[in-house]
Amino acid sequence: MAENLPMTHRSTFLLPPTVTDTTTYALIILNQRLPRFSPLIWDHAKVRLCADGGANRLFDDMPEMCCCGEDVSGVRERYKPDVIKGDMDSIRPDVLNFYGNLGTKIIDNSDDQDTTDLHKCIAYILDTVSDDRKSNLCILVAGALGGRFDHEMGNVNTLCHFSTTRIVLLSDDCLIQLLPSNRHHEISIMSSVEGPHCGLIPIGTPCGSSTTTGLQWNLDNTEMRFGGLVSTSNIAKGETVTVRSDSDLLWTISLKKNSHEGEEGKLHDSQHV
Amino acid sequence: MAEKLPMIHRSTFLLPPETTATVTGTLPTTHALIILNQRLPKFSPLLWEHAKVRVCADGGANRLFDNMPELFHDEHDDVSVIRQRYKPDVIKGDMDSIRPDVLNFYRNLGTKIVENSSDQDTTDLHKCITYVLDLMSDDEKSNLCILVAGALGGRFDHEMGNVNTLCRFSTTRIVLLSNDCLIQLLPSTRHHEIHVLSSVEGPHCGLIPIGTPSGSSTTTGLEWNLDNMEMRFGGLVSTSNIVKGETVTVRSDSDLLWTISLKKQTCS
Repeated sequence: MAENLPMTHRSTFLLPPTVTDTTTYALIILNQRLPRFSPLIWDHAKVRLCADGGANRLFDDMPEMCCCGEDVSGVRERYKPDVIKGDMDSIRPDVLNFYGNLGTKIIDNSDDQDTTDLHKCIAYILDTVSDDRKSNLCILVAGALGGRFDHEMGNVNTLCHFSTTRIVLLSDDCLIQLLPSNRHHEISIMSSVEGPHCGLIPIGTPCGSSTTTGLQWNLDNTEMRFGGLVSTSNIAKGETVTVRSDSDLLWTISLKKNSHEGEEGKLHDSQHV
Repeated sequence: MAEKLPMIHRSTFLLPPETTATVTGTLPTTHALIILNQRLPKFSPLLWEHAKVRVCADGGANRLFDNMPELFHDEHDDVSVIRQRYKPDVIKGDMDSIRPDVLNFYRNLGTKIVENSSDQDTTDLHKCITYVLDLMSDDEKSNLCILVAGALGGRFDHEMGNVNTLCRFSTTRIVLLSNDCLIQLLPSTRHHEIHVLSSVEGPHCGLIPIGTPSGSSTTTGLEWNLDNMEMRFGGLVSTSNIVKGETVTVRSDSDLLWTISLKKQTCS
C-alpha cells in the first residue's frame, strides 16, 4: 500500500536549482532578518510572498546580499514578491508603495485575529497552486525563528496545523520540518550544506515509541516527552537518517555557514526569470 | 482542605536591585545567573547585580568576556577592568567551546573551573542548574530564582533542549531570557498570578502547551482570555496575546510555558 512507502526529505533547496528537481517551491518571508542564503531559495521558488513586515526585510536585506555591481533599486526590482499579505501594521509605507508600484499584489488581512501571518500565507498558497503542483509542493519559510518566542511557537504550531503540507522553517542556523506520525521518514543528509547537529522534538504531545537509524544516539522504541527525554544535540552520521514514531515529531538540523556563498562572500550569479 | 496559595511571578530582576526591597508582600529572592553561549542580552549587567552566584556554561564565558565590555562602551574604564569586575564564580562544562585565552583569564582571577563528566543525557544548562542547587542552602533554595541568559536564539535543538530543562526542573523557578522575551514554566499543580511590570515587559505574551495538550486552561488579564479552553499543537496555542492591566492569572491541567516580550531599554 502507498502509505508504506517512506516520506523522503532532501534539502535540495539549499543547492543551486537543477532541472531534475520536480518539486514546486513556494517562498514565504516573515519579519526577521533574511537568512544569508535567501537569494538561493528565491531562485528555487515559483511563487514568493511576504507576510507584512517581511517586505521590509526583503527591501532592506536583499541588496546587502547581492552586490554584483548592481545598484540597490535594481536588486529590489529583481527581487519583487508576487504577493504581500497581512494586516499591514508592520510594513513601512515606503516599502508598500515601492512594491505596489511594481505590480506586487497587496492583500490586506486586518480582520482575522485567529491565525498567524504564516498560516494566512500558507492558506493563500494552497488556494492558488494547482492540484498538480500541490502534490509536489514544498513551502520554504524564511524568518520563522528568532525574535519573540511566542512568534516562534505560533509558527511551529502552524507547521503542525498543516501537517499534510511540506513546510520548512529556515534560519541562518538551522531548519525545522514536521515528520507526521502516519508515515515513516527517510531524510537524506546533504552534508555539504547541513548537519551534523540535529534533533527530534516531541512537540505538543509525548511520544510513546520512536525509532531511528543514522544518528549518533539512535532511538530504539524509545519514549520521548518534555520533562523527560528529548533528542537534542544529536549528530547525523552518514547519508541517511530514518525515523518512525507514534506521534508527530519536529526534525531539526543545523545549517553550515559559508557553504552557499562564492569566494568573495557573494552569491552565485544565476538566471533570474 | 486549604486551597493552595497561588504561585506568584514578578520580573523584579529586570528592575534595579534597590527598588525591589520596597515591593511589599514579597520575601527576598535569591537569584542565580547562568550564562549560555549566545550573545549577552543588553540588560546583563542588571541581572549580574541581582545574582548571588554567577556561572558560565563553557562558551558562555566567551560571551561574557567579549560582550560585557561592549555594554559599557561609554564608560572610561578600560576593557580589562570591566572584565575583572564581571568575573564569574564558576565556569562549568566540557570546555570544548571556551577559548583558551578566556579560560586562562578567568582561572587566573580565581574563577572555579569545573569540568563535566561525559554525561550525554543532560544539557549544559541542566548541569549548571544541578550545580547551583547543590551550592544553595535549603533556605536559599526555597526562594531561589535562576536567571538564564543565552538560552534562546541560534540552533532550534539547543532552544528546545533548554526548554526541556525547564520542564525537568519543574519545581525550581527558572527564567530563560533573551533581548526580546522571557520564558517561564507554569506547573499545572499550582494556579498562577503574574504581576506584569509594564515599564520593562509586555504587552505581547503567550501560553504554550509545550509537551502535552491542555484539556482546560483558564486565564484573566489577557486581551484574549482562555475560559476552560483546550490548547494543543495542531490546534489552539495562545500566541500574540496581549496583557491588559497589571495581573495575569493562569490555571491549567497541564504544564504551560508563559512567555512575555521585553521592552527595549538601554542599560549601562
